[in-house]
Amino acid sequence: MNHEKEMIRTKDLTKKFGEKTAVDHLDLTIHEGELFSLLGVNGAGKTTTIRMLSCLSRPTSGEALVGGFSCLDQAEKVKEIIGISPQDTAVAERLTVQENLAFMAALYTQDKAVCRERTERMIRLFHLEEVAGSQARTLSGGWKRKLSIAMAMIGEPQVLFLDEPTLGLDVLARRELWNLIGKLKEKRTIILTTHYMEEAEQLSDRIAIMHRGRIRACGTLSEIETLAGVSGLENAFVEIAGKEELL
Amino acid sequence: MNRTFALASRTRKELLRDPLSYIFCLAFPLVMLAIMTIVDRSIPKEAGMTVFHLSQLAPGIAVFGQTFLMLFTSLTVSKDRSGYFLVRLYATPAGSRDFILGYLLPMMEISLMQCGIIYLASWIVSLILGTPLSAGGLLLSLLMLQPSAVLFICIGLLFGTLFSEKSAPGLCSIIISLGSFLGCIWFDADSLGGIMLKICKALPFYYCTKLGRSALQLNFGTSAFWLPLLIVAGCAVVLALLSVIVFRSRMRTDLA
Ligand SMILES: Nc1ncnc2c1ncn2[C@@H]1O[C@H](COP(=O)(O)OP(=O)(O)OP(=O)(O)O)[C@@H](O)[C@H]1O
Ligand SMILES: [Mg+2]
Repeated sequence: MNHEKEMIRTKDLTKKFGEKTAVDHLDLTIHEGELFSLLGVNGAGKTTTIRMLSCLSRPTSGEALVGGFSCLDQAEKVKEIIGISPQDTAVAERLTVQENLAFMAALYTQDKAVCRERTERMIRLFHLEEVAGSQARTLSGGWKRKLSIAMAMIGEPQVLFLDEPTLGLDVLARRELWNLIGKLKEKRTIILTTHYMEEAEQLSDRIAIMHRGRIRACGTLSEIETLAGVSGLENAFVEIAGKEELL
Repeated sequence: MNRTFALASRTRKELLRDPLSYIFCLAFPLVMLAIMTIVDRSIPKEAGMTVFHLSQLAPGIAVFGQTFLMLFTSLTVSKDRSGYFLVRLYATPAGSRDFILGYLLPMMEISLMQCGIIYLASWIVSLILGTPLSAGGLLLSLLMLQPSAVLFICIGLLFGTLFSEKSAPGLCSIIISLGSFLGCIWFDADSLGGIMLKICKALPFYYCTKLGRSALQLNFGTSAFWLPLLIVAGCAVVLALLSVIVFRSRMRTDLA
Protein backbone atom coordinates (compact mmCIF):
# COMPACT_ATOMS: atom_id res chain seq x y z
CA MET A 1 0.00 0.00 0.00
CA ASN A 2 1.19 3.42 -0.87
CA HIS A 3 0.36 5.86 1.86
CA GLU A 4 2.43 8.69 0.47
CA LYS A 5 -0.02 10.48 -1.76
CA GLU A 6 -3.28 11.97 -0.55
CA MET A 7 -6.05 11.37 -3.07
CA ILE A 8 -8.90 12.87 -1.11
CA ARG A 9 -8.80 15.52 1.53
CA THR A 10 -11.74 17.35 3.02
CA LYS A 11 -11.63 20.15 5.51
CA ASP A 12 -14.71 21.21 7.45
CA LEU A 13 -16.81 19.88 4.59
CA THR A 14 -20.42 20.73 5.37
CA LYS A 15 -23.71 20.34 3.56
CA LYS A 16 -26.94 21.77 4.84
CA PHE A 17 -30.39 21.27 3.36
CA GLY A 18 -32.30 24.16 4.88
CA GLU A 19 -32.14 23.65 8.62
CA LYS A 20 -30.93 20.09 8.31
CA THR A 21 -27.19 19.42 8.37
CA ALA A 22 -26.55 16.32 6.25
CA VAL A 23 -22.77 16.45 6.47
CA ASP A 24 -21.23 18.25 9.41
CA HIS A 25 -17.66 19.59 9.30
CA LEU A 26 -16.14 16.50 7.82
CA ASP A 27 -12.35 16.15 7.94
CA LEU A 28 -11.21 13.19 5.94
CA THR A 29 -7.96 12.10 4.36
CA ILE A 30 -7.84 9.13 2.01
CA HIS A 31 -4.60 7.97 0.41
CA GLU A 32 -3.86 6.67 -3.04
CA GLY A 33 -4.65 2.98 -3.45
CA GLU A 34 -6.77 2.81 -0.34
CA LEU A 35 -10.16 1.16 -0.18
CA PHE A 36 -12.11 3.27 2.22
CA SER A 37 -15.54 2.26 3.52
CA LEU A 38 -18.12 4.72 4.77
CA LEU A 39 -20.58 3.10 7.14
CA GLY A 40 -23.60 4.63 8.77
CA VAL A 41 -27.30 4.21 9.36
CA ASN A 42 -29.84 5.49 6.83
CA GLY A 43 -29.56 9.23 6.48
CA ALA A 44 -26.11 9.39 8.06
CA GLY A 45 -24.81 11.46 5.13
CA LYS A 46 -22.84 8.90 3.13
CA THR A 47 -24.43 9.61 -0.26
CA THR A 48 -24.26 13.36 0.35
CA THR A 49 -20.53 13.07 1.07
CA ILE A 50 -19.98 11.11 -2.12
CA ARG A 51 -22.03 13.60 -4.12
CA MET A 52 -19.91 16.48 -2.89
CA LEU A 53 -16.67 14.64 -3.63
CA SER A 54 -17.86 13.85 -7.16
CA CYS A 55 -18.90 17.46 -7.90
CA LEU A 56 -22.59 16.54 -7.97
CA SER A 57 -23.41 18.76 -5.02
CA ARG A 58 -21.88 22.00 -3.82
CA PRO A 59 -20.73 22.08 -0.21
CA THR A 60 -22.41 24.68 1.97
CA SER A 61 -19.00 25.37 3.48
CA GLY A 62 -15.59 23.84 3.81
CA GLU A 63 -13.49 22.36 1.05
CA ALA A 64 -12.82 19.10 -0.72
CA LEU A 65 -9.80 18.13 -2.79
CA VAL A 66 -9.75 15.11 -5.09
CA GLY A 67 -6.42 14.24 -6.66
CA GLY A 68 -5.21 17.63 -5.55
CA PHE A 69 -7.99 19.44 -7.44
CA SER A 70 -10.69 21.42 -5.73
CA CYS A 71 -14.23 20.07 -6.16
CA LEU A 72 -15.43 23.67 -6.09
CA ASP A 73 -13.20 25.52 -8.55
CA GLN A 74 -11.70 22.70 -10.58
CA ALA A 75 -14.71 20.45 -11.12
CA GLU A 76 -13.67 19.84 -14.75
CA LYS A 77 -10.34 18.40 -13.64
CA VAL A 78 -11.93 16.34 -10.88
CA LYS A 79 -14.50 14.86 -13.27
CA GLU A 80 -11.74 13.55 -15.50
CA ILE A 81 -10.21 11.42 -12.77
CA ILE A 82 -13.28 10.08 -10.97
CA GLY A 83 -15.88 7.42 -11.68
CA ILE A 84 -19.11 6.98 -9.82
CA SER A 85 -21.57 4.15 -9.49
CA PRO A 86 -24.68 5.76 -7.97
CA GLN A 87 -26.83 4.18 -5.28
CA ASP A 88 -29.51 3.51 -7.91
CA THR A 89 -28.20 1.72 -10.98
CA ALA A 90 -28.42 4.25 -13.77
CA VAL A 91 -27.93 2.75 -17.20
CA ALA A 92 -29.38 3.48 -20.65
CA GLU A 93 -32.19 0.94 -20.69
CA ARG A 94 -32.51 0.43 -24.43
CA LEU A 95 -28.80 0.24 -25.16
CA THR A 96 -27.06 -3.10 -24.99
CA VAL A 97 -24.45 -3.76 -22.33
CA GLN A 98 -21.71 -3.23 -24.86
CA GLU A 99 -23.28 -0.01 -26.16
CA ASN A 100 -23.67 1.34 -22.65
CA LEU A 101 -19.97 0.83 -22.04
CA ALA A 102 -18.90 2.27 -25.38
CA PHE A 103 -21.18 5.25 -24.81
CA MET A 104 -19.63 6.03 -21.43
CA ALA A 105 -16.14 5.47 -22.79
CA ALA A 106 -16.73 8.08 -25.49
CA LEU A 107 -17.50 10.67 -22.82
CA TYR A 108 -13.93 10.33 -21.53
CA THR A 109 -11.80 9.89 -24.63
CA GLN A 110 -11.81 11.06 -28.23
CA ASP A 111 -9.92 8.03 -29.44
CA LYS A 112 -12.23 5.42 -31.02
CA ALA A 113 -9.65 2.63 -30.70
CA VAL A 114 -9.19 3.37 -27.00
CA CYS A 115 -12.98 3.32 -26.55
CA ARG A 116 -13.23 -0.08 -28.17
CA GLU A 117 -10.32 -1.46 -26.25
CA ARG A 118 -11.67 -0.24 -22.89
CA THR A 119 -15.15 -1.58 -23.66
CA GLU A 120 -13.71 -5.00 -24.47
CA ARG A 121 -11.59 -4.96 -21.35
CA MET A 122 -14.54 -4.11 -19.08
CA ILE A 123 -16.64 -6.87 -20.65
CA ARG A 124 -13.88 -9.36 -19.93
CA LEU A 125 -13.11 -8.04 -16.47
CA PHE A 126 -16.75 -8.11 -15.34
CA HIS A 127 -17.52 -11.36 -17.21
CA LEU A 128 -20.26 -9.62 -19.17
CA GLU A 129 -19.69 -11.67 -22.34
CA GLU A 130 -22.95 -13.58 -22.20
CA VAL A 131 -25.08 -10.45 -21.84
CA ALA A 132 -22.95 -8.08 -23.96
CA GLY A 133 -25.58 -7.98 -26.72
CA SER A 134 -28.64 -7.74 -24.46
CA GLN A 135 -30.45 -4.49 -23.82
CA ALA A 136 -29.92 -3.28 -20.27
CA ARG A 137 -33.65 -3.29 -19.50
CA THR A 138 -33.69 -7.08 -19.83
CA LEU A 139 -30.93 -7.62 -17.24
CA SER A 140 -31.47 -8.86 -13.69
CA GLY A 141 -30.50 -6.64 -10.77
CA GLY A 142 -27.13 -8.30 -10.35
CA TRP A 143 -26.10 -7.90 -13.97
CA LYS A 144 -27.28 -4.30 -13.93
CA ARG A 145 -25.13 -3.57 -10.87
CA LYS A 146 -22.13 -5.08 -12.58
CA LEU A 147 -22.80 -3.03 -15.69
CA SER A 148 -23.24 0.11 -13.60
CA ILE A 149 -19.89 -0.43 -11.89
CA ALA A 150 -18.20 -1.26 -15.18
CA MET A 151 -19.57 2.03 -16.56
CA ALA A 152 -18.07 3.85 -13.58
CA MET A 153 -14.73 2.20 -14.33
CA ILE A 154 -14.59 2.85 -18.05
CA GLY A 155 -12.95 6.25 -17.81
CA GLU A 156 -10.08 4.55 -15.94
CA PRO A 157 -10.68 6.72 -12.91
CA GLN A 158 -8.03 7.24 -10.27
CA VAL A 159 -10.78 7.54 -7.72
CA LEU A 160 -13.83 5.30 -7.81
CA PHE A 161 -16.97 5.97 -5.77
CA LEU A 162 -19.23 2.98 -5.17
CA ASP A 163 -22.46 3.88 -3.39
CA GLU A 164 -23.91 0.65 -1.99
CA PRO A 165 -22.56 -1.47 -4.84
CA THR A 166 -24.07 -4.73 -3.60
CA LEU A 167 -27.53 -3.43 -2.70
CA GLY A 168 -30.14 -6.05 -3.47
CA LEU A 169 -27.74 -8.74 -4.65
CA ASP A 170 -27.92 -12.39 -3.69
CA VAL A 171 -25.14 -13.97 -1.64
CA LEU A 172 -23.27 -15.40 -4.60
CA ALA A 173 -23.51 -12.26 -6.70
CA ARG A 174 -22.31 -10.25 -3.74
CA ARG A 175 -19.27 -12.50 -3.26
CA GLU A 176 -18.48 -12.26 -6.93
CA LEU A 177 -18.64 -8.50 -6.79
CA TRP A 178 -16.37 -8.46 -3.74
CA ASN A 179 -13.82 -10.40 -5.72
CA LEU A 180 -14.12 -7.94 -8.55
CA ILE A 181 -13.80 -4.90 -6.32
CA GLY A 182 -10.68 -6.48 -4.87
CA LYS A 183 -9.30 -6.82 -8.38
CA LEU A 184 -10.27 -3.28 -9.35
CA LYS A 185 -8.12 -1.86 -6.61
CA GLU A 186 -4.66 -2.09 -8.12
CA LYS A 187 -3.50 1.50 -7.63
CA ARG A 188 -6.98 2.91 -7.60
CA THR A 189 -8.53 4.67 -4.65
CA ILE A 190 -12.00 3.34 -3.89
CA ILE A 191 -14.59 4.90 -1.63
CA LEU A 192 -17.40 2.52 -0.88
CA THR A 193 -20.55 2.82 1.17
CA THR A 194 -22.40 -0.19 2.45
CA HIS A 195 -24.83 -1.47 5.04
CA TYR A 196 -23.19 -4.90 5.06
CA MET A 197 -20.58 -5.12 7.80
CA GLU A 198 -19.06 -8.25 6.34
CA GLU A 199 -18.47 -6.42 3.11
CA ALA A 200 -16.60 -3.62 4.82
CA GLU A 201 -14.58 -6.14 6.86
CA GLN A 202 -13.58 -8.08 3.78
CA LEU A 203 -12.68 -5.23 1.51
CA SER A 204 -11.58 -2.17 3.40
CA ASP A 205 -8.19 -0.87 4.30
CA ARG A 206 -9.83 1.70 6.50
CA ILE A 207 -13.36 2.25 7.71
CA ALA A 208 -15.23 5.33 8.88
CA ILE A 209 -18.46 5.21 10.82
CA MET A 210 -20.66 8.22 10.13
CA HIS A 211 -23.56 9.36 12.20
CA ARG A 212 -25.70 12.45 11.68
CA GLY A 213 -23.17 13.85 9.26
CA ARG A 214 -20.14 13.41 11.48
CA ILE A 215 -17.43 10.82 11.57
CA ARG A 216 -17.59 9.04 14.91
CA ALA A 217 -14.78 6.59 14.33
CA CYS A 218 -12.20 6.15 11.62
CA GLY A 219 -9.38 3.69 11.20
CA THR A 220 -8.50 0.11 10.38
CA LEU A 221 -10.81 -2.65 11.52
CA SER A 222 -8.70 -3.42 14.57
CA GLU A 223 -8.38 0.25 15.47
CA ILE A 224 -12.16 0.57 15.41
CA GLU A 225 -12.60 -2.59 17.44
CA THR A 226 -10.15 -1.26 20.03
CA LEU A 227 -11.92 2.07 20.12
CA ALA A 228 -15.29 0.44 20.67
CA GLY A 229 -13.87 -2.12 23.07
CA VAL A 230 -15.62 -5.02 21.35
CA SER A 231 -14.64 -7.47 18.64
CA GLY A 232 -16.24 -7.71 15.22
CA LEU A 233 -17.23 -4.75 13.06
CA GLU A 234 -20.94 -5.26 13.60
CA ASN A 235 -20.56 -5.09 17.36
CA ALA A 236 -18.30 -2.08 17.06
CA PHE A 237 -20.79 -0.40 14.74
CA VAL A 238 -23.68 -1.01 17.11
CA GLU A 239 -21.55 0.23 19.97
CA ILE A 240 -20.54 3.45 18.18
CA ALA A 241 -23.56 4.33 16.06
CA GLY A 242 -26.07 2.89 18.53
CA LYS A 243 -24.71 4.90 21.44
CA GLU A 244 -24.96 8.07 19.40
CA GLU A 245 -28.55 7.26 18.64
CA LEU A 246 -29.33 7.10 22.37
CA LEU A 247 -27.81 10.53 23.06
CA MET B 1 -17.77 17.22 -30.13
CA ASN B 2 -17.16 13.54 -29.55
CA ARG B 3 -19.17 13.75 -26.35
CA THR B 4 -22.07 15.41 -28.13
CA PHE B 5 -22.10 12.64 -30.72
CA ALA B 6 -21.94 9.94 -28.08
CA LEU B 7 -24.93 11.45 -26.28
CA ALA B 8 -26.81 12.02 -29.53
CA SER B 9 -26.25 8.49 -30.71
CA ARG B 10 -27.50 7.13 -27.41
CA THR B 11 -30.70 9.20 -27.63
CA ARG B 12 -31.22 8.14 -31.24
CA LYS B 13 -30.74 4.45 -30.52
CA GLU B 14 -33.07 4.48 -27.54
CA LEU B 15 -35.80 6.26 -29.51
CA LEU B 16 -35.51 4.08 -32.59
CA ARG B 17 -35.71 0.95 -30.42
CA ASP B 18 -38.90 2.03 -28.71
CA PRO B 19 -41.94 0.68 -30.59
CA LEU B 20 -44.02 3.52 -29.16
CA SER B 21 -42.00 6.05 -31.19
CA TYR B 22 -43.13 4.36 -34.40
CA ILE B 23 -46.74 4.09 -33.28
CA PHE B 24 -47.04 7.76 -32.34
CA CYS B 25 -44.61 9.48 -34.69
CA LEU B 26 -45.37 7.46 -37.83
CA ALA B 27 -48.30 5.04 -37.67
CA PHE B 28 -50.76 7.45 -36.08
CA PRO B 29 -50.13 10.34 -38.54
CA LEU B 30 -50.24 7.91 -41.49
CA VAL B 31 -53.55 6.44 -40.30
CA MET B 32 -54.92 9.98 -39.99
CA LEU B 33 -53.68 10.69 -43.51
CA ALA B 34 -55.56 7.66 -44.82
CA ILE B 35 -58.75 8.40 -42.86
CA MET B 36 -58.86 12.06 -43.83
CA THR B 37 -58.22 11.25 -47.47
CA ILE B 38 -61.23 8.93 -47.40
CA VAL B 39 -63.25 11.63 -45.62
CA ASP B 40 -62.18 14.07 -48.31
CA ARG B 41 -63.49 11.75 -51.01
CA SER B 42 -66.86 11.54 -49.25
CA ILE B 43 -67.36 15.31 -48.91
CA PRO B 44 -69.53 16.59 -51.77
CA LYS B 45 -67.71 19.02 -54.08
CA GLU B 46 -70.43 21.67 -53.54
CA ALA B 47 -69.42 21.90 -49.87
CA GLY B 48 -66.26 23.64 -51.04
CA MET B 49 -64.16 22.14 -48.24
CA THR B 50 -60.52 22.01 -49.25
CA VAL B 51 -58.76 21.42 -45.94
CA PHE B 52 -58.61 17.65 -46.51
CA HIS B 53 -57.32 17.90 -50.08
CA LEU B 54 -53.93 16.23 -50.09
CA SER B 55 -52.06 19.46 -50.79
CA GLN B 56 -53.51 20.91 -47.58
CA LEU B 57 -53.75 17.70 -45.61
CA ALA B 58 -50.17 16.42 -46.07
CA PRO B 59 -48.47 19.45 -44.45
CA GLY B 60 -51.09 19.41 -41.69
CA ILE B 61 -50.38 15.75 -40.96
CA ALA B 62 -46.64 16.50 -40.98
CA VAL B 63 -47.10 19.20 -38.34
CA PHE B 64 -49.38 16.85 -36.41
CA GLY B 65 -46.52 14.32 -36.43
CA GLN B 66 -44.12 16.94 -35.13
CA THR B 67 -46.24 17.46 -32.03
CA PHE B 68 -45.38 13.88 -31.10
CA LEU B 69 -41.67 14.64 -31.43
CA MET B 70 -42.32 17.15 -28.68
CA LEU B 71 -43.92 14.43 -26.57
CA PHE B 72 -40.98 12.06 -27.05
CA THR B 73 -38.39 14.74 -26.36
CA SER B 74 -40.09 15.61 -23.10
CA LEU B 75 -40.39 11.92 -22.19
CA THR B 76 -36.71 11.25 -22.88
CA VAL B 77 -35.50 14.26 -20.91
CA SER B 78 -37.83 13.80 -17.95
CA LYS B 79 -37.02 10.08 -17.71
CA ASP B 80 -33.28 10.78 -17.73
CA ARG B 81 -33.83 13.29 -14.97
CA SER B 82 -36.09 11.15 -12.82
CA GLY B 83 -33.70 8.20 -12.74
CA TYR B 84 -30.11 8.76 -11.80
CA PHE B 85 -28.94 8.57 -15.38
CA LEU B 86 -28.46 12.28 -15.93
CA VAL B 87 -26.83 12.59 -12.49
CA ARG B 88 -24.32 9.96 -13.48
CA LEU B 89 -23.64 11.83 -16.72
CA TYR B 90 -23.21 15.08 -14.79
CA ALA B 91 -20.22 13.45 -13.06
CA THR B 92 -18.50 12.85 -16.43
CA PRO B 93 -16.57 15.53 -18.32
CA ALA B 94 -19.62 16.19 -20.57
CA GLY B 95 -21.13 19.70 -20.27
CA SER B 96 -24.55 21.28 -20.72
CA ARG B 97 -23.93 21.96 -24.42
CA ASP B 98 -23.26 18.27 -24.99
CA PHE B 99 -26.45 17.31 -23.17
CA ILE B 100 -28.69 19.77 -25.00
CA LEU B 101 -27.35 18.91 -28.46
CA GLY B 102 -27.43 15.26 -27.46
CA TYR B 103 -31.21 15.60 -27.27
CA LEU B 104 -31.84 18.05 -30.10
CA LEU B 105 -29.70 16.59 -32.90
CA PRO B 106 -31.24 13.10 -32.99
CA MET B 107 -34.74 14.57 -32.70
CA MET B 108 -34.01 16.74 -35.76
CA GLU B 109 -32.82 13.71 -37.69
CA ILE B 110 -35.96 11.84 -36.71
CA SER B 111 -38.03 14.86 -37.73
CA LEU B 112 -36.51 14.81 -41.23
CA MET B 113 -37.13 11.07 -41.56
CA GLN B 114 -40.66 11.42 -40.23
CA CYS B 115 -41.61 14.24 -42.57
CA GLY B 116 -39.92 12.44 -45.45
CA ILE B 117 -41.97 9.30 -44.88
CA ILE B 118 -45.25 11.19 -44.44
CA TYR B 119 -44.61 13.13 -47.66
CA LEU B 120 -43.58 10.02 -49.55
CA ALA B 121 -46.83 8.36 -48.46
CA SER B 122 -48.81 11.46 -49.44
CA TRP B 123 -47.12 11.54 -52.82
CA ILE B 124 -47.95 7.88 -53.45
CA VAL B 125 -51.57 8.46 -52.43
CA SER B 126 -51.71 11.49 -54.73
CA LEU B 127 -50.45 9.35 -57.61
CA ILE B 128 -53.05 6.69 -56.89
CA LEU B 129 -55.79 9.34 -56.80
CA GLY B 130 -54.54 10.76 -60.11
CA THR B 131 -53.83 14.22 -58.65
CA PRO B 132 -50.05 14.11 -58.30
CA LEU B 133 -48.42 16.53 -55.84
CA SER B 134 -45.41 18.45 -57.10
CA ALA B 135 -42.21 16.74 -56.01
CA GLY B 136 -40.42 20.09 -55.78
CA GLY B 137 -43.19 21.46 -53.60
CA LEU B 138 -42.97 18.47 -51.28
CA LEU B 139 -39.23 18.89 -50.97
CA LEU B 140 -39.45 22.61 -50.25
CA SER B 141 -42.25 22.04 -47.78
CA LEU B 142 -40.17 19.40 -46.01
CA LEU B 143 -37.41 21.96 -45.54
CA MET B 144 -39.79 24.71 -44.50
CA LEU B 145 -41.28 22.46 -41.83
CA GLN B 146 -37.97 22.07 -40.02
CA PRO B 147 -38.18 25.38 -38.13
CA SER B 148 -41.47 24.20 -36.67
CA ALA B 149 -39.81 20.89 -35.79
CA VAL B 150 -37.25 22.90 -33.79
CA LEU B 151 -40.11 24.77 -32.18
CA PHE B 152 -41.92 21.63 -31.05
CA ILE B 153 -38.77 19.78 -29.99
CA CYS B 154 -37.69 22.74 -27.88
CA ILE B 155 -41.09 22.86 -26.18
CA GLY B 156 -40.48 19.19 -25.41
CA LEU B 157 -37.02 19.93 -24.00
CA LEU B 158 -38.50 22.73 -21.92
CA PHE B 159 -41.29 20.54 -20.48
CA GLY B 160 -38.95 17.61 -19.92
CA THR B 161 -36.57 19.87 -18.00
CA LEU B 162 -39.19 21.62 -15.91
CA PHE B 163 -41.65 18.84 -15.17
CA SER B 164 -41.56 15.29 -13.91
CA GLU B 165 -41.88 12.13 -15.93
CA LYS B 166 -45.54 12.04 -14.85
CA SER B 167 -46.64 15.59 -15.64
CA ALA B 168 -44.57 16.34 -18.76
CA PRO B 169 -46.52 13.96 -21.08
CA GLY B 170 -49.82 15.36 -19.80
CA LEU B 171 -48.76 18.90 -20.56
CA CYS B 172 -47.53 17.80 -23.97
CA SER B 173 -50.90 16.27 -24.79
CA ILE B 174 -52.49 19.66 -24.08
CA ILE B 175 -50.15 21.23 -26.61
CA ILE B 176 -50.83 18.37 -29.03
CA SER B 177 -54.61 18.97 -28.94
CA LEU B 178 -54.26 22.73 -28.85
CA GLY B 179 -51.61 22.78 -31.55
CA SER B 180 -53.42 20.52 -33.96
CA PHE B 181 -56.71 22.37 -33.41
CA LEU B 182 -55.42 25.94 -33.46
CA GLY B 183 -52.85 24.97 -36.07
CA CYS B 184 -55.85 24.50 -38.36
CA ILE B 185 -54.84 20.99 -39.25
CA TRP B 186 -58.39 19.68 -39.13
CA PHE B 187 -60.35 22.74 -40.23
CA ASP B 188 -59.90 25.86 -42.30
CA ALA B 189 -59.79 28.93 -40.05
CA ASP B 190 -59.18 31.26 -42.98
CA SER B 191 -62.63 30.52 -44.38
CA LEU B 192 -64.14 30.65 -40.89
CA GLY B 193 -62.71 34.04 -40.03
CA GLY B 194 -63.87 35.94 -36.96
CA ILE B 195 -62.67 35.35 -33.44
CA MET B 196 -61.52 31.81 -34.23
CA LEU B 197 -59.09 33.07 -36.87
CA LYS B 198 -57.84 35.74 -34.47
CA ILE B 199 -57.05 33.14 -31.82
CA CYS B 200 -55.29 30.92 -34.35
CA LYS B 201 -53.23 33.82 -35.61
CA ALA B 202 -52.14 34.71 -32.09
CA LEU B 203 -50.34 31.39 -31.72
CA PRO B 204 -47.43 30.03 -33.76
CA PHE B 205 -49.10 26.71 -34.69
CA TYR B 206 -51.26 28.30 -37.39
CA TYR B 207 -48.17 29.63 -39.14
CA CYS B 208 -46.42 26.25 -39.02
CA THR B 209 -49.18 24.62 -41.04
CA LYS B 210 -49.66 27.62 -43.29
CA LEU B 211 -45.96 27.72 -44.16
CA GLY B 212 -45.92 24.00 -44.96
CA ARG B 213 -49.01 24.34 -47.17
CA SER B 214 -47.78 27.41 -49.05
CA ALA B 215 -44.39 25.80 -49.64
CA LEU B 216 -46.03 22.66 -50.98
CA GLN B 217 -48.12 24.71 -53.38
CA LEU B 218 -45.06 26.81 -54.26
CA ASN B 219 -46.98 29.88 -53.22
CA PHE B 220 -44.43 32.56 -52.33
CA GLY B 221 -46.82 35.34 -51.36
CA THR B 222 -45.80 37.57 -48.49
CA SER B 223 -48.67 36.65 -46.19
CA ALA B 224 -48.73 33.01 -47.36
CA PHE B 225 -45.04 32.22 -47.20
CA TRP B 226 -42.63 34.89 -45.98
CA LEU B 227 -44.58 36.13 -43.00
CA PRO B 228 -45.26 32.62 -41.61
CA LEU B 229 -41.61 31.70 -42.24
CA LEU B 230 -40.46 34.72 -40.28
CA ILE B 231 -42.86 34.04 -37.42
CA VAL B 232 -42.14 30.32 -37.16
CA ALA B 233 -38.37 30.81 -37.41
CA GLY B 234 -38.54 33.61 -34.84
CA CYS B 235 -40.55 31.48 -32.40
CA ALA B 236 -38.18 28.56 -32.96
CA VAL B 237 -35.17 30.72 -32.10
CA VAL B 238 -36.86 32.13 -29.01
CA LEU B 239 -37.91 28.70 -27.76
CA ALA B 240 -34.49 27.24 -28.49
CA LEU B 241 -32.82 29.99 -26.46
CA LEU B 242 -35.37 29.63 -23.70
CA SER B 243 -34.96 25.88 -23.44
CA VAL B 244 -31.16 26.20 -23.36
CA ILE B 245 -31.34 28.81 -20.58
CA VAL B 246 -33.83 26.73 -18.59
CA PHE B 247 -31.85 23.49 -19.03
CA ARG B 248 -28.65 25.17 -17.90
CA SER B 249 -30.16 26.81 -14.88
CA ARG B 250 -31.89 23.54 -13.99
CA MET B 251 -28.57 21.76 -14.24
CA ARG B 252 -27.04 24.32 -11.91
CA THR B 253 -29.76 23.84 -9.30
CA ASP B 254 -29.47 20.04 -9.67
CA LEU B 255 -25.82 20.38 -8.80
CA ALA B 256 -26.39 22.83 -5.96
N1 LIG C 1 -31.64 16.86 -1.86
C1 LIG C 1 -31.89 16.81 -0.54
N2 LIG C 1 -32.75 17.69 0.01
C2 LIG C 1 -33.01 17.66 1.34
N3 LIG C 1 -32.47 16.80 2.20
C3 LIG C 1 -31.60 15.90 1.71
C4 LIG C 1 -31.27 15.85 0.32
N4 LIG C 1 -30.40 14.85 0.12
C5 LIG C 1 -30.19 14.30 1.33
N5 LIG C 1 -30.91 14.92 2.28
C6 LIG C 1 -30.91 14.60 3.73
O1 LIG C 1 -29.58 14.52 4.17
C7 LIG C 1 -29.41 13.44 5.06
C8 LIG C 1 -28.31 12.53 4.57
O2 LIG C 1 -28.74 11.83 3.43
P1 LIG C 1 -27.84 10.80 2.63
O3 LIG C 1 -28.57 10.44 1.41
O4 LIG C 1 -26.49 11.38 2.46
O5 LIG C 1 -27.80 9.58 3.63
P2 LIG C 1 -27.13 8.15 3.42
O6 LIG C 1 -26.13 7.99 4.51
O7 LIG C 1 -26.65 7.99 2.03
O8 LIG C 1 -28.38 7.21 3.70
P3 LIG C 1 -28.77 5.78 3.03
O9 LIG C 1 -28.00 4.76 3.77
O10 LIG C 1 -30.22 5.67 3.33
O11 LIG C 1 -28.45 5.85 1.58
C9 LIG C 1 -30.75 12.74 5.17
O12 LIG C 1 -31.37 13.17 6.35
C10 LIG C 1 -31.53 13.24 3.99
O13 LIG C 1 -32.88 13.33 4.29
MG1 LIG D 1 -27.12 6.73 0.45
